[in-house]
Amino acid sequence: MTPPDIPRFPDGAVVSARALSQRVTTADGELTILSDVDLAVAPGETLAITGASGSGKSTLLGLLAGLDRPSAGEIVLLGARLTDLDEDARARLRAGRVGFVFQSFQLLPALSALENILLPLELAGRRDARARAADWLARVGLAERASHTPRQLSGGEQQRVAIARAFATDPQIVFADEPTGNLDVDTGARIIDLLFELNARAGTTLVLVTHDDALASRCARRLHLAAGRVADRVPA
Amino acid sequence: MKLLRLGLWLLRRERASGEWRVLLLALVIGVGSVSTTGFLGDRFKRAMRDEGARFLGADLLVTSPRPVESWPAHRLIQSEALEFASMVSHGDTFQLTTVRAIDASYPARGTVKIAAQPFTPGTPSRALPPPGAVYVDQELLPLLGAQVGAQVQLGAAAFRIAGVVTEEPGQLGGVFGLAPRVFLRADEVAATRVLEPGSRVTYLYQFGGPPAALAAFTAALKPRLAPTQRLVGAREGIESLRGAFANTDRYIQLAALVSLLLAVAAIAIAAHRHALRHYDQAGLLRCMGATSGDLRTLYLIQLGTIGLVGSLAGIALGALLQTVLAHLLLPAAVARLPALGPAPLAAGVASGFVALAGASMPALLRLAQVPPLRVLRRDLPPLSGSAWASAGMSLVLLLGLTAWYAGEPKLVAIFVGALTGLALLLALLAQLALGLGRLVQRMSYGPLRFGLAQLLRHRFDSTLQLAAFTLALFLIALLALIRSDLVDGWRQQVPADAPNHFLVNIAPHQQQDVAAFLTRHHLAASELYPMVRGRLTTKNGQAIETTLPPEQTDASTLRRELNLSHTVTLPANNRIIAGQWFGDRRGAEISVETGMAERLGLALGDELGFAVGDQTLHATITSLRSVRWDSMQPNFFVIFAAGPLDDLPASYLAGVRIPDDATGVLPEFVRSFPGVTVLALDKLIAQVGTVFNQIIGAVQLLLGFLLAAGMAVVVATLLASLDARQQEAVLLRTLGAQRAYLAKGLLSEFVVLGLLAGLLAAASAEIAMALIAERLFDLPVKLHPWLWLALPAAGAALVGISGWLTTRHIVRVPPMQSIRALA
Repeated sequence: MTPPDIPRFPDGAVVSARALSQRVTTADGELTILSDVDLAVAPGETLAITGASGSGKSTLLGLLAGLDRPSAGEIVLLGARLTDLDEDARARLRAGRVGFVFQSFQLLPALSALENILLPLELAGRRDARARAADWLARVGLAERASHTPRQLSGGEQQRVAIARAFATDPQIVFADEPTGNLDVDTGARIIDLLFELNARAGTTLVLVTHDDALASRCARRLHLAAGRVADRVPA
Repeated sequence: MKLLRLGLWLLRRERASGEWRVLLLALVIGVGSVSTTGFLGDRFKRAMRDEGARFLGADLLVTSPRPVESWPAHRLIQSEALEFASMVSHGDTFQLTTVRAIDASYPARGTVKIAAQPFTPGTPSRALPPPGAVYVDQELLPLLGAQVGAQVQLGAAAFRIAGVVTEEPGQLGGVFGLAPRVFLRADEVAATRVLEPGSRVTYLYQFGGPPAALAAFTAALKPRLAPTQRLVGAREGIESLRGAFANTDRYIQLAALVSLLLAVAAIAIAAHRHALRHYDQAGLLRCMGATSGDLRTLYLIQLGTIGLVGSLAGIALGALLQTVLAHLLLPAAVARLPALGPAPLAAGVASGFVALAGASMPALLRLAQVPPLRVLRRDLPPLSGSAWASAGMSLVLLLGLTAWYAGEPKLVAIFVGALTGLALLLALLAQLALGLGRLVQRMSYGPLRFGLAQLLRHRFDSTLQLAAFTLALFLIALLALIRSDLVDGWRQQVPADAPNHFLVNIAPHQQQDVAAFLTRHHLAASELYPMVRGRLTTKNGQAIETTLPPEQTDASTLRRELNLSHTVTLPANNRIIAGQWFGDRRGAEISVETGMAERLGLALGDELGFAVGDQTLHATITSLRSVRWDSMQPNFFVIFAAGPLDDLPASYLAGVRIPDDATGVLPEFVRSFPGVTVLALDKLIAQVGTVFNQIIGAVQLLLGFLLAAGMAVVVATLLASLDARQQEAVLLRTLGAQRAYLAKGLLSEFVVLGLLAGLLAAASAEIAMALIAERLFDLPVKLHPWLWLALPAAGAALVGISGWLTTRHIVRVPPMQSIRALA
């Protein structure tokens, strides 16, 4: 699925970061959120970023996905150095090739379940958008709920739609931010199963942020953050 | 293409969920009201022009002392007449008359009424008498002691009097001092042999036709006119309606402008809310790979679609309403008007787009600046980067639109300046009012206390809402005030006892007899004004022509003889604008009408010279007066102080009201004072009354639109605060607040807001009215005590009801459902 204009990743990683730091200026002075983070994620690999609240997990995820710029360090996503790209170039890099799953689902309230999955496909200009969206809705077991709006769906159902949306464009990498954070334990477990099942089937790289050990343990690797620094890597 | 499809698809989905409804509604109301006022204004102007043409007898009149050999090419209706003074005799009685020799197409516009007997109503007829016959003014018959059917001698030819002219267009052309009129066939002038080479003759050329053809003809003709030739348009045809025309034009402009501004405010508020609600969507799309350019295109496509749909719907509404209104108000004029062409359509769409773009661009462009990181951190606002630039661009667009609609830079300047000042003032006053609210809150209890607390907690939002409501109420009140003041003004100008006849050419020795006659018949009359005819010749010792800019050298004031008068009392409908009224001071002082002073560049202290007969009089301008030409009272351009005119031969003029039922008085007067000319104004007054009533009707309907636009602002403002209110209501209900308590709290919040807005609007409207009335409409300044009750009541009702309707579901929906909706 790699477009011809981007070479196969030279360092063998879908996404990699070197000496990554993020600092923000607040009223009380400069605050370091991330400091000196190095990582590399190989194609098809699953990585969990864990840590307590405020440890910088979500910030790292945002930086890796090109949603924000780091204060220092370098990120290579899908073979492109993000630091060389402006906001719009990073957006173009993501289009159709990066998927997202959020804690708060982020479904558009005016669109039905099917249409929410359709959205990234339409944006990527896919010709078979509608059929693909319907297919993905069926894969997450919600074929019957195609015309329901998010308001008519339970939290678990909403997250299933969001997962289908993330995978629908056949992305090379999916970033998930606390995907079970808003769900009860049982629903969360089912969502985790679905996420890993789809990921395994599609051979997608998965980077997820969680403070849920059960979820983190499903990943091949784990990166533990404490106060913005890498405190532990499993396996080391 | 991809974005077009996506944009329209999202728009369609959101339409189903009602997202765009407010924006679209505001646009439809805005475009609907401007196009209604625009269409109606246009039709009104034409109707006014028609009225003017009826008075003038033509759309255009050219007068010339010599025959005009050739005209610019045209396809207008043309009629030629010549006018000269001549003696007419019947038996031994001679009378000086003004003979008007006419062709078959006279008059080019309007109708002439002919009666078989004097002082009876005439029937519309051809103005051209049969061969060998003349029609005469009814005043001529008693002067000659003749009856209809009698033979009169005019020069070498004898004519039979075939009827009397009871009504004719153009009879007010140059009213005073005119001898009774005789209508003669132009082809029979030669037979009279009264015209010799060098005889003083005025050639009258009347033209009638469609406005575009008239405009082209006028443009081609103007450079060819000799200084002695004069071009009169229908709108100048009658001075007494000029003030009403100008005021109506202004009012319609102002109404269009205000409804447009209200719509723009509603659009801006709705667009702001729309943008706020779409930050998440924009963030998500960016996350999915949309560039800021993509988002800009996407939202512009959506905006463009809304603009097109809204403008077309607005125009359709406007066209429909104006057709209904035109049929109701101007049934006679409708038949003559062309169908709606593409021009107003294009103008409507253009103004819709510009208003929408101007009002919503800053908000919607901010959507393109939403950072993708917002999907992780929802508190992130859009980047501020180009916000100022787009706001600036909006301002330019909206100012341009305003200027285009208002047409008059003065109006735009006053309006924009006033609104900016007002917005600042309102924000300040709203803060103060809310401060007062805190006091009231401490003394109140229950839901009212809760409602007030809500208001005070969201001080910023409350200030904005209060300012928006006040602005809407203020603008509606202002227009309502101008309307009622204008209408009162018009009604006062033609009061029920206004003179309906002018008595002209009263000889000095007849003064007392005329006064006695009027008293005997209990007739209300004006002062008897002396009239001396003179021509303005010099200013400060120089020939007046040399002191003027080229375009004014052919001013009619210079060519025709002026009626100079003198009086010690300032006439009732005159107002001193500059200098001092001379009162009973004697000396070489004059008071000049401001319009004339402006046209001829005259100022206080200038010494003017007048040629009166073989004498030259010099007098200094010591005051400038405004004159209500539509007052139906005798009015003068130049009034002298006592002294200079005393010894000059004068005739006298008076305005008199003859009741409709006193039918015998007029013939008796004409018999008793054969030399005095009686000019009937009653038809004119009736026509003026009709015109005013039509104007008043239209103006009242325009207010309805303003109200709708004002409501749109109120609703848009309320909807903008809906999300926050909903969140709070859910929280409070979860915490145990009862529905009724919340409902009463919300209601008291809205009622208090409306009440405060009404009070602020009343204060602002009074101030603005005082400023506008005098400068723009030449109306007296007065206070409007009822406003202070009506506006707060209207505000409380308006905001209370619409607030309740917009937010009632908040308290009805079960908290759980609301929580989910908000999640």
